[in-house]
Amino acid sequence: MASISARRLAKELREIEGEGCPVGINLIKADDFATWWFTIEVMGDSLYQGEVHTLQFRFDPQYPISSPAVQFLVTDGRTAPVHPHVYSNGHICASILGNEWSPVLSVVAVCVTLQSMLASCKKKERPVDNDRYVRNAPDNPKKVCRFSDY
Amino acid sequence: MSDREPLWFCHECHSEMRPLMAPDPVCASCHGSFVEKMENPADDPREFAHTHNEDPERDGLPPALDTFLMSLQSLMERGIAQAPRTQNETGSAPRMTFEVRGGNGTRVVRLGGTNTLNNPSLNTVGAEPANIGAVPTMSEFLRRNPNEGQNGPTITGPLMAQYLMALLGQNDPLSALFAGGLGGGLPENGRMGDYVFNQEALDQIITQLMENSNAHRPVPATEEIIANLPREVLVEGSAMLEKDCAVCKEQFKLETEDPDEQIVITLPCKHPFHDPCILPWLKSSGTCPVCRYQLVPQPEHHGPPTGPTQDSGGSRQASPGSNPPQRDRGDHGGLFHAILQGFTGGSNTGTSRATGATNNGRHQRSNSDPPHSSRNGSNSNLPGGWTEDLD
Repeated sequence: MASISARRLAKELREIEGEGCPVGINLIKADDFATWWFTIEVMGDSLYQGEVHTLQFRFDPQYPISSPAVQFLVTDGRTAPVHPHVYSNGHICASILGNEWSPVLSVVAVCVTLQSMLASCKKKERPVDNDRYVRNAPDNPKKVCRFSDY
Repeated sequence: MSDREPLWFCHECHSEMRPLMAPDPVCASCHGSFVEKMENPADDPREFAHTHNEDPERDGLPPALDTFLMSLQSLMERGIAQAPRTQNETGSAPRMTFEVRGGNGTRVVRLGGTNTLNNPSLNTVGAEPANIGAVPTMSEFLRRNPNEGQNGPTITGPLMAQYLMALLGQNDPLSALFAGGLGGGLPENGRMGDYVFNQEALDQIITQLMENSNAHRPVPATEEIIANLPREVLVEGSAMLEKDCAVCKEQFKLETEDPDEQIVITLPCKHPFHDPCILPWLKSSGTCPVCRYQLVPQPEHHGPPTGPTQDSGGSRQASPGSNPPQRDRGDHGGLFHAILQGFTGGSNTGTSRATGATNNGRHQRSNSDPPHSSRNGSNSNLPGGWTEDLD
């Protein structure tokens, strides 16, 4: 019997492939049930017009009980958007990725939330503690991100 | 600088200022009364202070040690009926003696002493061994006495031990002071316990605190709550067969590989889930995944509390009786934690100092409040909201 995690991700993948992603979000890699990549782009008027960023999802076998580890990729020329909740190493400070995660959320829901987080941004700046955080950041971005609105 | 009016020097905080005349001169920055007018260049008080700092060995104790011992003493006062004796000086060796009153009488713990001064390896425990028969060694003290009263008004053995261990740990400031004085012994990593001496070490501490902060971690549902949830075994014609489980996003159905998937658990908020889908979630967070209904009180979070007994306005302030159970605060026994626990876990004869420290401990949590409250009432990002949009 497939694990709950694999069944759930298979279902999400089927829906993405069947119905497509929301506007501005594109699946670019989902070879397994461990790591998926999406490109994300803010549509309409925003500070991020024309920018395309890559989001990485990493799932553990407890998904969706445990949240996916989500971050922007900053390798191979990709960059993290400059945003008060996004560290320059790609880690994202968003409460739904941490303590406010719920198994009702899905990969697409997280993408849409992050898209709207960027869309509503008023000022492009790094988190105030960016340098400090990036110097000592854990590999797993799930360990941060407790206090944001998203 | 004005030539007309010479500045004053404060021997307590070492600042140069113009004193407040109230009516005797007191330091404008620390309000200390040990101030001196700098009118005679031949007798500059700053030089006195300077040389004093440069030669900490001159009068036996590094200058900071006095302060440290004083603050240590005031920290210990709550649990110790008799104020600790500090600095029984024998020759040049600083030494401390604590008297700790437990359920089983009074115990004495000695720190430092002559023969440990130049031997850092002995400083980790620092008790004077063998030669004082009546005084227990540190390890003896650490051993929990089975006869010891559990709820005495003083700091009990294990707690006291934890506190002292934090103080006496490998990197603690006390042994560093004993070992090398202030000048020689700064550790390479810039840390001595919870004390830091450079930016990198501070970063590490802050990161560590952030990672270990459990204040916002969800509180799991208890076994009892889980056991008492209503369960329904699906049968032909169940109304439930029309509905979905929000965790696996599958419709409830009769033919399943796992017979447990024919058991539906409905939370008090009426949201139904497969038994194997919801149980692992409840064991990590006692909330409804759909609407965040709290089966057990949760730390403050963004979502509107949906418990039937709570109103949306006042429930952010948990009533004193329904405070979420504090999780284990982590097993890293830093000085900060030990002191905090000493205050919060000690007797209830709180002093104003103790209250202050406790509040500091909670400050971390209240720091995170502003972003929360700013969107109190907006639930556009709640899981329930998204699923409605997406499904």
